Amino acid sequence: MDSLGIVLALLGAALSSLLAGIGSAIGVGMAGEAAAGVVTEDPSKFSKVLLLQLLPGTQGIYGLLVAVLTLIQIGILGGSSDVSLGQGLLYLVSCLPMAFVGLWSAIRQARAAVSGIGTVAKRPEQMGKAMIFPAMVETYAILALLVSVLSILNIPNINI
Amino acid sequence: MAVLSMQKINICALKKDRKKILETLQRIGTVEVSDITREKEELEKIDTFNMRSIFDKNRTIAQNALDILEKYEPEEKEFLSNICGQNEISTDNYYTFVNESEEIMRVAYEIVNLSKSINDEKAEIIRIKAQIKSLSVWRNLDIPIEFKGTRKTKAFVGTLPQGVTELKAKEMLAEMLKDEDRYVLEVIDVSPEQTCIFVLCHIDAKDCVQSALREKGFAWPAFSTDEIPSKKIEELSQKISKIESKIKEQEKEIKSYKGQRNAMKFMIDYHEMRSQKYEVISKLLYTKNVFFLSGYIPKKYSKRLESVLTSKFDVAIEFVTPDSEDDVPVVLSNNKFSAPVEGVLESYSLPGKGEVDPTSIMAIFYYLLFGMMLSDAAYGFIIIIVCGFVLLKYKTIKSGLKKTLKMFLYCGISTTFWGILFGSYFGDAIDVISTTFFGTHLTIPALWFVPLKEPMRMLAFCFGFGIVHLFTGLFIQFYELVKNKQYKDALYDVVSWYLLVGGIIVYMLSMPMITQMLVLNFILPSLVGKVGIICAIIGACLIVLTSGRESRNPFKRFLKGLYGLYGVTGYLSDILSYSRLLALGLATGVIAQVFNKMGTMAGNSFIGIILFIFVFIIGHTMNIAINLLGAYVHTNRLQFVEFFGKFYKGGGREFSPFFVDTKYYKVMEDINNG
Repeated sequence: MDSLGIVLALLGAALSSLLAGIGSAIGVGMAGEAAAGVVTEDPSKFSKVLLLQLLPGTQGIYGLLVAVLTLIQIGILGGSSDVSLGQGLLYLVSCLPMAFVGLWSAIRQARAAVSGIGTVAKRPEQMGKAMIFPAMVETYAILALLVSVLSILNIPNINI
Repeated sequence: MAVLSMQKINICALKKDRKKILETLQRIGTVEVSDITREKEELEKIDTFNMRSIFDKNRTIAQNALDILEKYEPEEKEFLSNICGQNEISTDNYYTFVNESEEIMRVAYEIVNLSKSINDEKAEIIRIKAQIKSLSVWRNLDIPIEFKGTRKTKAFVGTLPQGVTELKAKEMLAEMLKDEDRYVLEVIDVSPEQTCIFVLCHIDAKDCVQSALREKGFAWPAFSTDEIPSKKIEELSQKISKIESKIKEQEKEIKSYKGQRNAMKFMIDYHEMRSQKYEVISKLLYTKNVFFLSGYIPKKYSKRLESVLTSKFDVAIEFVTPDSEDDVPVVLSNNKFSAPVEGVLESYSLPGKGEVDPTSIMAIFYYLLFGMMLSDAAYGFIIIIVCGFVLLKYKTIKSGLKKTLKMFLYCGISTTFWGILFGSYFGDAIDVISTTFFGTHLTIPALWFVPLKEPMRMLAFCFGFGIVHLFTGLFIQFYELVKNKQYKDALYDVVSWYLLVGGIIVYMLSMPMITQMLVLNFILPSLVGKVGIICAIIGACLIVLTSGRESRNPFKRFLKGLYGLYGVTGYLSDILSYSRLLALGLATGVIAQVFNKMGTMAGNSFIGIILFIFVFIIGHTMNIAINLLGAYVHTNRLQFVEFFGKFYKGGGREFSPFFVDTKYYKVMEDINNG
């Protein structure tokens, strides 16, 4: 039973990079399709639509970040991997906000980004505003990241 | 921090000076011409649409000619040269070009026509090649395809479906024509889809041979000629090579015009300028001898314009302070430090009527927030180097791009500053390199503290910074209200919120639970806390009593007041929103650490060092790119949503003066354009 702790912790790390990564992949893909459409009409808008396409990509990075932070904490990347069952569960739970919020927010953010690409196609001067709408969605991914990171960093201090 | 003050300008002058006055205005470029509506019968307007369409057409021709030149003889370009703005043109060159403008336009037409005929000829080649292809199956036929027979014979030249051998074809025909032998059949070419045959028969047997052939699916060839196929093919091939050599000649001719490239660029600008001028002409009002112009001019330029115009022409100029009805355009004017973020403000909205220009205050926060999000000294240094290099190397850079680069330069400086405070240089690269490859433990200590080790402390700092940012926004609202003498509104809408939010914050800072949670090393005495809570209550009462003050119904007013108090949740979420400073800062740091860690996985060996360099360069480049985007977007968000939400409405119209709006050349002031 003792070795189950690290399994659970690793499951958390995997989920975080898995779900957030899936979300970003879907999101960046969706936005990429829309961006490619705009570029067929007007290649000079490439840099603008590329920026918008990248916006839903950050969740995947946050997921990776949480995953690697967990890996470092539980000693998989060198060091002692002495994780109790309780701690393992804590790590798993800590990873969940990033995993789920990352998945959903990336997809929703991508939809806002696709609409933003539509805005830029018609009115390129409104680029600043078109970027803000997807960024609003990202706020929640950032909040989730914050909760996950703060929890993971503080788990070793908990005596369980 | 300024929106330039504007004046309305009215000019009345003689019609004979019109051309020169407009040119002067265009060159000085400080007047926005308004379209005057025609009010009186005796005043007239001139329709310049036809003239403008001629200029626009000429400009398009010159542009096409330039594009064609570019296609056949690409201009050698320096790296990054397309970020540069216009070159200046000397007076001599200007007049040489103007005098030659007819000749240049002739060349432009010539180039366009040449390119057109090249395209036509290329299409012709494709057509001929298709003919050759359909003829090539008849290559072995030594009579013309059209040959129908002689006086005594009848010939059939055509195809049968599917490929059949000569023997098979003969058998087929023999079966059909049991009683007839006055014919010969020859197979010319066989392919899987069709068989090309030649049948010659006696004139008396032509009907039965024809019906037999038709039954087998005989078809006349699609392309026919009265010449022998092989000869015809040769003829067509010669035609192609003739056309090809003609195309080559024409291409050569186009290339011979490559020296005219600058002339074409000039023509584009020249016709653009003239078109703009004629657009303005259509906005003026005329009597028989006089014309009127009306528009806006920034006040600080009006003296100069007046002296220039009155010294040269007989004009009456009038400057009027615009009244509140007028749709006055907006120009921003800021010092070198804050002007770079004007673009960010413009992308939100220009200040509306009676609003202050928040650029200079925003600039300070913009740079600081950006730096906190990226917060790595080395990354900041790289940004400084890149932006500084481009700014120094390319002096004639486009002004919009120049502003953006300067903005990132300042952001880079701020990033380095925060990076040093937080002790981050490529993440923990110095630690990692020294331990892995040199066996010692080197580290540059943080000047302040390391957010990754004390995240709660950093979070508290972010909230504190956010509160300062929000309260500054509120203060600008206060300033605007006081400036407009709306003292009551200032008290009800700003001071009440200061009391409420500030009071709550002070009260919270006197609670041990909160200070422990945020790891603050101070706690306010409970007396101060009590004062805080009293202030908050006063503020809340003020809000409940006054937010519904436009309603007369007291019950409705009270409900609206309660709803106004609900806005406190907005402040809570605004302050919490600044936690992104911590999150993005951690993201930069941790991703950098991840790459450093990955790089050292092969240990201290030759391969290990190679791997490390490889991972280091790729990883950190990616990290900079992603976090630069993140920092930019989220700094904008904090400014637009949290900061502007407190005071800024925007909605101003951009000042668009009548000026020499050219693409390639910068035209000097003392040049006259026709």
